[in-house]
Amino acid sequence: MSAEMGDKTKRAPIRPDWWGKTFAGAVLGATLAFALAGIFAWAGPGGIAPPDKSQFVMWLIAPVWMTVFGFVWLFRSGMLALLWLGGANLLAWGLLFLVRG
Amino acid sequence: MKIRSDILRIYQAVHTWGGICAGMLLFIGFFGGALTMFKEPLDRWVSAPTVSASPLAPAQVDKVVADVLAAYPAAREEFTLHVARHENTPAPVSWQAGESGHEIDFGLVRWQATLDGQGALAVEQVKPSLLAQLIDMLHRTGGIPGTLGEEYFGIYVMGVAGVLYFLALVSGVVLLLPTLVKDFFALRAGKNRKRFWLDAHNILGITSLPFHIVISLTVVVFAFHDQFYDGLRGIVYRERPMFVPPAIHNVPGDATKLLPASELVRRVQQQAPGFEVTELLYMGVESPRPIVRAAVASPRHVVQGAETGFVILQPYTGDILSTSMLPGQGNTWSAMVAPFFALHFGSYGGVTVRWLYFVFGLAGAALFYTGNLLWIEKRRKNQLKNGPLPAQPLRTALIASATVGVCLGSVAGIGACMVAAKWLHAFNAHANDAYPTVYYAIFLACVAWAFARGAARAGRELLVACAVTALAIPVTSVAGALVPALNMWAHTSPATLGVDATALVLAGLFAWAARLAARRAAQGPADSVWANATDAAQAAPEAVRKVGT
Repeated sequence: MSAEMGDKTKRAPIRPDWWGKTFAGAVLGATLAFALAGIFAWAGPGGIAPPDKSQFVMWLIAPVWMTVFGFVWLFRSGMLALLWLGGANLLAWGLLFLVRG
Repeated sequence: MKIRSDILRIYQAVHTWGGICAGMLLFIGFFGGALTMFKEPLDRWVSAPTVSASPLAPAQVDKVVADVLAAYPAAREEFTLHVARHENTPAPVSWQAGESGHEIDFGLVRWQATLDGQGALAVEQVKPSLLAQLIDMLHRTGGIPGTLGEEYFGIYVMGVAGVLYFLALVSGVVLLLPTLVKDFFALRAGKNRKRFWLDAHNILGITSLPFHIVISLTVVVFAFHDQFYDGLRGIVYRERPMFVPPAIHNVPGDATKLLPASELVRRVQQQAPGFEVTELLYMGVESPRPIVRAAVASPRHVVQGAETGFVILQPYTGDILSTSMLPGQGNTWSAMVAPFFALHFGSYGGVTVRWLYFVFGLAGAALFYTGNLLWIEKRRKNQLKNGPLPAQPLRTALIASATVGVCLGSVAGIGACMVAAKWLHAFNAHANDAYPTVYYAIFLACVAWAFARGAARAGRELLVACAVTALAIPVTSVAGALVPALNMWAHTSPATLGVDATALVLAGLFAWAARLAARRAAQGPADSVWANATDAAQAAPEAVRKVGT
């Protein structure tokens, strides 16, 4: 997500913005992971019904969350991290409410 | 691969701070985790021998079950039938009063039953070994005491450490990418000590990267799965059931009509050919939902438990209720979840993988230890040529002391528990009650020692202490075997001899490390926190002179 942003402004160094980016990764990364896992639970293979699928859905949360958290410092600034991840959250949660009905 | 320097700078900070905050906790987690690979041998090693009854025929085992259920209501709630019997499970049937919680109950009492020489029920109160459980608790909590809700508080702290650990892995790889080809497997042992530690740290990290990714993610899940499930229940599943409860049999069972245990074992074996049935856990035999959880072990399958897979049966009809925790027979979803557990527990591939995980676990502990050493070395002030020794910042000295004390203290503490178990028995005391006291006393003493003596001396001395403690493990066994009057013992099964042998090897490794640390303290750069001079008066004239030589 940030690779293309980096191209536009090659020279401007990335700002650390520790509080903003860490918050975005820790909190918005987690909420995004819940929403994506939820979408997979409803719209993924088999739908919501299969027994034991909930376990797999639960296991999806940590890898998604941790991946977002791990790469969140690649955003150029804390504000951009909050905006992008906030937007991704809105999209994912909207989709979750849609498929959940 | 080129990575911009501003990115590298940020990830350098993520790596060092994530690492330094979680490193010591992860050391205890990894050292304890390596040992839990051999939970069963450890418990067998530490269990005092009992007069074992001659092996019982299946019909006799069934008689034990029937007599126990008739006479002991607590067993009707839950009891275990030990199909595979070892030093730590000498009797065929055992049970306890009340449910066991998440916490270890160091005063736990169980009853075990077998038949005496005349064929009558012989019941004995026992305190089963909690050594492996203690090590497992230290592995999961880092030894942080206290509870939060029903769970150890330390589990959540370890979960946070797991998050930091994953971040340290990502950032470590990002840092290494630009020079990966050049640095990979280059172990430069020249004059630059920092370079050497960095190379060692990188090799350990990169060669076991997949293992570390798996461990860090599973640690996060194990710590927070309740919160994850609660979240999913609230926002995703809502009123839909997330789990399918086992079928209810409306008629409460009559414990006298249970199928013979041998018949249940036969049905499990039919369902799981190639597996060894190790134990049957009977739950609520007189409740409306009686079940038996049969533990099945096989070195050739990925199992979901820490050691075994499971088959769930109905104890009156012998119907198989669930095979979702039996490798290869669950549905697609449970089959996809099993590897997550197995990859953490190393419960695939039998003893070979257990040894591999043991080595990876110790290597992981070394990764965090070297990481902290790097952090410390990087922050030291260098001595100018022929200049006086600079005063080192207090925080590096403190972190160095903490690293040495916490890491080596946990090692010595666990070793001391094992040694104490047999010696306490010699004095007619039971080790279970003493484990927390012994562990925390040794651990805290080591930490205090490290701060009092400074990192350089304490590092050497505590390594010697670890070596002595580890050596005391086989020595105690030998003493028990040679001098029966001591009222100790030495088991001779390969698994328990393996415990003694491994302790001996570790003793050798600690002694070797102590020698290296001693040499380093005497001959290394005097401006390091690992030099003797730093501990003593800051500008000891001798040390200054030594630099020139």
